[in-house]
This record gives sequence, C-alpha cells and structure tokens, in this order.
Amino acid sequence: MSQTRSLIDKQGKRTDGRTVEQLREVKMAVGVVKNADGSVFIEFGKNKIIVAVYGPREVHPKHMAQSDRCVLRCRYHMSPFSTDTRKNPAPSRREVEISKVMREALEPALMLEDYPRAAIDVYVEVLQADGGSRCAGISAASVALADAGINMRDLVAACAAGKVDDKIVLDINDTEDKEGGADMPVAYMPHLDEVTLLQLDGILTRDQFNQCFDTAVEGCKMVYEIQKQALMQKYFGNETEVKEEVQ
Amino acid sequence: MQELKRKYVIPGDKIVDGNFRPLMNVIRIGDSIISTRIGIAEAGRDGIKVIPLSGVYIPRINDIVIGKIVDRSSLSWDVDINSCFSAHLPAQDVFGRDFSPARDDMNREMATGDLITARIIAFDRTRDPMLTVQDRDLGKIPRGESLKISATRVPRLIGKRGSMIQTIEQATQTRVIIGQNGVVVVTGRSQGGIELAVKAIKMVEEEAHTSNLTQRIKVLLNVPDTTPAQPQLSQSTSSSVPAAMSATSKDISEVSPTKSELQSAPNDIQQPLRKEQQSQDKEEQEQQPSSRHHLGQEKASVSSSDGSPSSSSPTSADAISLPSSHSKSRSQDERGRKSDDQRSVAGVTGGDTRKAKTYVKGVHEGLQEHDKKEANS
Amino acid sequence: MSASKRSTIIVEHLRRQQMLDLISVGKRLQGRALDEMRPLEIEVDIIKKANGSAKVKLGDSEVVAGIKVETGEPFEGLENKGALIIQAEVLPIASPHVEPGPPDEDTIELARVVDRGIRESEMLNLDKLVLVPGKIVYTVFVDCSIINTDGNLLDATSYAVVSALLSCKLPVFEIHDGKVVDTGKTQDPPLTTIPVSITQVRIGDTIILDPTAEEEACMNARITITTNSESCYAAIQKGFTGGFTIEQIKKAAETARIKGEQVRAKLQELTNKNG
Repeated sequence: MSQTRSLIDKQGKRTDGRTVEQLREVKMAVGVVKNADGSVFIEFGKNKIIVAVYGPREVHPKHMAQSDRCVLRCRYHMSPFSTDTRKNPAPSRREVEISKVMREALEPALMLEDYPRAAIDVYVEVLQADGGSRCAGISAASVALADAGINMRDLVAACAAGKVDDKIVLDINDTEDKEGGADMPVAYMPHLDEVTLLQLDGILTRDQFNQCFDTAVEGCKMVYEIQKQALMQKYFGNETEVKEEVQ
Repeated sequence: MQELKRKYVIPGDKIVDGNFRPLMNVIRIGDSIISTRIGIAEAGRDGIKVIPLSGVYIPRINDIVIGKIVDRSSLSWDVDINSCFSAHLPAQDVFGRDFSPARDDMNREMATGDLITARIIAFDRTRDPMLTVQDRDLGKIPRGESLKISATRVPRLIGKRGSMIQTIEQATQTRVIIGQNGVVVVTGRSQGGIELAVKAIKMVEEEAHTSNLTQRIKVLLNVPDTTPAQPQLSQSTSSSVPAAMSATSKDISEVSPTKSELQSAPNDIQQPLRKEQQSQDKEEQEQQPSSRHHLGQEKASVSSSDGSPSSSSPTSADAISLPSSHSKSRSQDERGRKSDDQRSVAGVTGGDTRKAKTYVKGVHEGLQEHDKKEANS
Repeated sequence: MSASKRSTIIVEHLRRQQMLDLISVGKRLQGRALDEMRPLEIEVDIIKKANGSAKVKLGDSEVVAGIKVETGEPFEGLENKGALIIQAEVLPIASPHVEPGPPDEDTIELARVVDRGIRESEMLNLDKLVLVPGKIVYTVFVDCSIINTDGNLLDATSYAVVSALLSCKLPVFEIHDGKVVDTGKTQDPPLTTIPVSITQVRIGDTIILDPTAEEEACMNARITITTNSESCYAAIQKGFTGGFTIEQIKKAAETARIKGEQVRAKLQELTNKNG
C-alpha cells in the first residue's frame, strides 16, 4: 500500500491522462458469441472481457434444480495470458470469490421466479485484465442477460472508485489499484436505486467513504448510459422511435 | 393511456406512470410500469405490455411446436423443443392405451434425431411439458429443411393474418411449417425455392422490428408490391381500442375479433380463467406475440384460483376453450374438437390463413358439425 | 459421460439425410465444395499483456491464442532446449454443450495434436531459447481459449497458435550474477518454418475438408495432417471411431499438402506485415 510515486500530477491528471472523475474508455458490443443466448464483448480501458449467457436452460446435474425458481450460476475466469505474469488456468480462490459476488450482484435484477427448475449460466472470460475487471464483468453480464431475453427488473451497472494520493478518483486502473490507497467496487441498479455489490479494500475516513461511494455510484450511472446505448444499437440500430409499417 | 406511443425499451426502463395494468413483460414498481425485456412497449386494451425481441421459448399449453427426439426411456420419448424445458411424448400417445414396452418397439415409430410436429397438452411450473402427436398434421416430419429462429420472431414471420408467410410460400413455391418454439421446416419441389424461402425467413428474423420489412421481403422474393385488397380488419374491429392505439393495434389486430367473441366472459384480465381462455385461443397464440404468458403470471393465476392448476383446467363454462389437456379423460367429443383445432393450425402454418382467421368460428362450427355427427350415429 | 461432449450433438435425421444426399453428389450444406475451407480470418496482437496473441475465426469456430514467456528449468531429457507448452481450453462460453471444469479428453487431444504439429515441425527453434544449459531456459506458454465452437477446432486452434507465434516478440532475458533479469528489450522468435494443419473427415465414403460441428457429428473418421513449409509431413493424427482405406489416406495426404500451401500463404502474410 505504500506509495512509491505520485499517481496524480499537478494538473490533476492521472497516470493514464484522465481527470479524477473521468471513466476510462468503454466499448461494448452485443451478440458476439454465436452459440450463446446472449453475449457481450466489453473493452473497459485495457480490460477485454467476453461474457456469454446460456439459458434459461435445463439444469445439469438435475439435482441442482430448484422447484420454485431458476438457478443462476456465474463463472469468472481469467485467461492464462490475460495478466502480466501467466496465470494458471485452474480457478483460483480469487476467481471463485469474484464469481460469487458477481452472481450476488446480478441476482437482484433477475426475475428468477419466472423460470422454475431451469438454470441460467453466466460465463465471464477475461482475455486481458486491467484493474476493475469485476465491475466491467458485471456491467457486461447484465447486458448479456438482457440480450438473452431474461426477465429483469433493471440493468446492473458497476464501477469502482478509490483513493489515490489521498484523493478520491473514479474508476481506478491497474496501476492505481496496485499502488493506490483504496479500491471500492460498486454495482448499482439505476432505476431501482439499489446497490447490489459493495466491496472495499483500503483505509477511508468517514468523509472519504461518503465521497468515494458517491463517486462510484456516479460512475455506475455513466456506465449505465453506455450499456443502454449498446443494447439499443444492437436491437434498434439507429432508429430511436418506432416507425409503423406502411401497408 | 391514449397518450402512450409505442417505444423501444430495455429492462428497467419506465414505460409510463399512472394506474395502468401490467400485462406482459412489465412490472409495476410504485406508480410506474417498468419493462423487463428488450422490446417494443405498447398499450393494449387492458394495460401495458412489451413485445420482446429476444428470449428463449417458454412452452404454453396448446402451442404447436416442432421438436427433436433426443432420447427415449421405456415409456416415453424425450423431445428437445428448443426451450429450457425438455418435453415428453408418452409412448401411449403413439401406441394407444394398451402400449406394452415388451411388445411394441418404440424405435420403429420414432428414433433419436427425428423431427416431430406436436402439441403441448400439459405444462405448468411443476412439471415438464407433455406432448401429443394425435391430431391431424402432427407427428413425424418426413422431409424438409429445418432452421431455428428466435421464438420471439414467430408472430412476425407469420405476419398479419398469415400475410408474411403466405407471401414467402407463394413466391418460393414452398410449404413452411412453423413451430411456436421457433423451429421452422421448409419443404418444396425445387431446392432453389427452399433456399430462397430460408433466406427470406432469416431476413424476417434479423429485421423483425424494422419498418417496411414486408416491402423488403417482397423485393428479395421478386414479388410485385401490391397492397393486398384486404379489408382493414384492424380498423373495423378495433373500435374499442383507444384511438391513439389504433396504429399500434395493427400487429395484434387478429386478436380483436376474438376478443369481441369473448364479450360474454367477464372482461377482467386478472381473472385467471379468463386469461387461460385467451391463451388457449389458437389464433391469438399463432399471431399475437403478446399473448405469450409467462410462468410468473401463471404463478399468479395459480395462486388466485385456489391453487388449482389453472393452466390445465378450462371450466365447462368456458365455451370456446380448446380441447382440454386432460389427456386421460379425452372424450370422442374432444377428439373432434382437436382435429378441428388442428386443421386450423395447419392452415396457418401451411399457408391457408383463411381458416386461421375464422378460427374461433371454426371451432364452434366444428363442434356443431361434430354434435350432428354424434347425433346421427 | 464427460468424454466426447462435443460429439454428442444430435443431428436431426432430416438434416443428416440432406447432408448425405448432398455429399453423395459432391456438394455440402452452405453450398461449400467438398475440399473448400470456410473463410479464415486472422487478427494478431489483440492482447497487449501477452508476448504474442492471435484471434482466428474459421467459419464460426473462434479461437484466441496468447503467448506468455517466462524462464524456468528445462524438461528432463531436453536440457539444452527451451520449453514449449501448448494448452487449450474450450471455454464454457463457446457452446451450450461445454461445462466448466478441467479439460475433457477431446480438449486434451486437441491441445496435444496442435502441440505435436508445432513441435515436430520445429517451428520454434528451441535450441536458441537456452539461458544456462541444463539449468535455465525460456519457457514459452501458448494458451488457447476456444470462444465459439463450430467444428474443426484442431485447425482453428493450430492456426491461432501459429499466428500468435509468427507475430510475437520474445522478451530478452539475461543472466546477471546468476539471476535472470528481464532486460525490457524484445526479440523476434527463432522461427524456422510454418506448419499448417489440415483436417479432413470421412462421412460415408466421401472425404471432406474443414468439417462444421454438424458434419463432425455425422463423421465416421477424422484425420489431421500437418505439413511444414517444405510441404513435408510433420505430424498426423487419425481420430474418431472409423477407419480409412489406404487409398483414402494417400489422397488425404495429398490434399493436406495442396491445401496446406494455400493456408500457409495466408499465414505468411502475417510475418510480412510483422516486419
């Protein structure tokens, strides 16, 4: 946690040239995996993540099925070449935990009771990791679920904020994550005004916490606009209003 | 409600504020109606709904589906109906009640990999869909080229009163069987015709929501673009629909006459049986996307009808309810009704949409005819 | 049975019959010729954190390969050679028939056949990847992630590995005071040849090139033949339950040379672009 160099320069610019309240560049493409029911490729800064959704579908093994609701399964996995040093392809404890918190972040948005005895599988594959991959993964997964046509109360947008050089900054990148002071990933449903993921590692004062949390939620709202745009683009192209077919 | 224009929505989008009834793919949160799907939001006569543009097929009783035999146990076949639930076709349905696993060779009738047209006779939250092939035009599909489209695009592929599929069939000299589950089988004499039909079907799927699709399909098929001289049924029958919605009701216009025939029934969508009647209306199922009802709503139905499995219990008062799903207590009379039902559906899928259009009447007439026959015999 | 998950796709009888009918008159579904490959798209250097990477699309089969270079001990018996490790995972995103978990026997065969083609053709000159003979060598990991499956993963994966190798830059490691130091510089990999894998399957009595998943579900036997830049054979794997006649094998071997040349020309473009 000790800081070895300044991560914010005198002009308030960060290591990658952003201001403290600026998101990295985010690109989302919907429907990229042909075999999947729903899929998204997201580039969030240097993160490159593919999310595919299969389902609702039959549960295998059968005994995992629940009679009154759908089972949501989530797998966050990093490709061996996604990190600076090669990652063993076997799932690590970190990946298992992230899979779990992702599932719990997405579940409140899903109307799982509509698909009893079925399963929805969300597979998040990180091809290139760059700080904030869980948030990017959740944001993409939520869009992929909508693409799969699963009933949802809301989309889930996720973004992290953190503390760097004692300043609260939005959307911390890999360097800031490793060398900065605190990291707070947040997932948020903008219409329902509900936080579905909140983690923190690092020390924050009470004021810093409030500011950091608010900053992260603001970031989620920015991500939501990108999610919305990606979905609209896929399904409606450039048409923004319904045109009636002239007969 | 009159103010509401159709609009594109994604999950979580607020469609409208106020005291509207949530119908399909929407939920009420506080004072707002919220979409739960990507699709087109519109106001129906009874409330707000979203016509979805993606999603897997969820079975409904009386749907005609095209399934693939994927496995077999000693008493039934497992059928992949392109859904999250795998369906069962009991051997008794094919061999009759005195089926004996020891004597009858199930493989001779249907084997893994066969495609069948079947009707869903039972399905609810607690059990997987059960199929029957005992109706006219049901059973093994002997030939043809199959393809899958999203089940949400089926209504668009059929078109208003079957106009779209009829256009494709006529221009390509093919026959197209459409399962509600999105599986489509094309047959025809010439390979070229089949290929063109497949191309057109895929185009409908890709561009289902876009404007002027019919024209573009006609261009693809090289059909002169003349507006069919059909009476605008939607205009004449949708008088009960708020004026601002008349445009939007075009797509669901087929339903309007049906509903008017149902006038005698209490006009309350929340009554479960009423809902079932509607969902059992073949025409509505065939041509109206929004009639798809979801398990969540089915659950509501169940709970509000004293826990009885409403989806499989049409009441006797339910005059036009289709043949019940009580396969065991299937009477001759019901068989008669079924075959009539079947003819109508085959009509739609086979291109003769006239029959489908007059479907509800058809059932009544069929019943009367049948009654006469019964009386004569 | 966890094994052979991908081959449990049940093809409808109608579809199968249609396929067989077409093949008997020398045609295929999608209007392809019997010896025609699907379109091959290659994108390299898509993962900046890797030392080399490539995304290959062969029809609808899609594979990403990434190279990570480290140092380590040499393999036993190969003390004076660098280590090359090729692994593959069919990701669960790739198809509804894949489940998460350790690779099944099909995937292990896939990685080993791809590995054999690269290794035996000596594409990468491992003799030049030694730092301290017998003690410290370069370890080149090539990990392949299959993103979408539609048949012939063997060739798609092989092309991804070859493309990644062709476009990679190896880090320059040096030994200072007995310790490995990453100099921060990069070097071109010591490449000698471009191996090309060509997979053919037999359906009935007909041999077809580059099968789709549907065609693989109907196949009787499969053969994968890798040739090098001199059009010599470097590795062969006959797969699946059926066999081939001697004549069929010889014909398949010829096809692999001819088609291999065409694919090699495409792969060669990468090196030209790369410098």
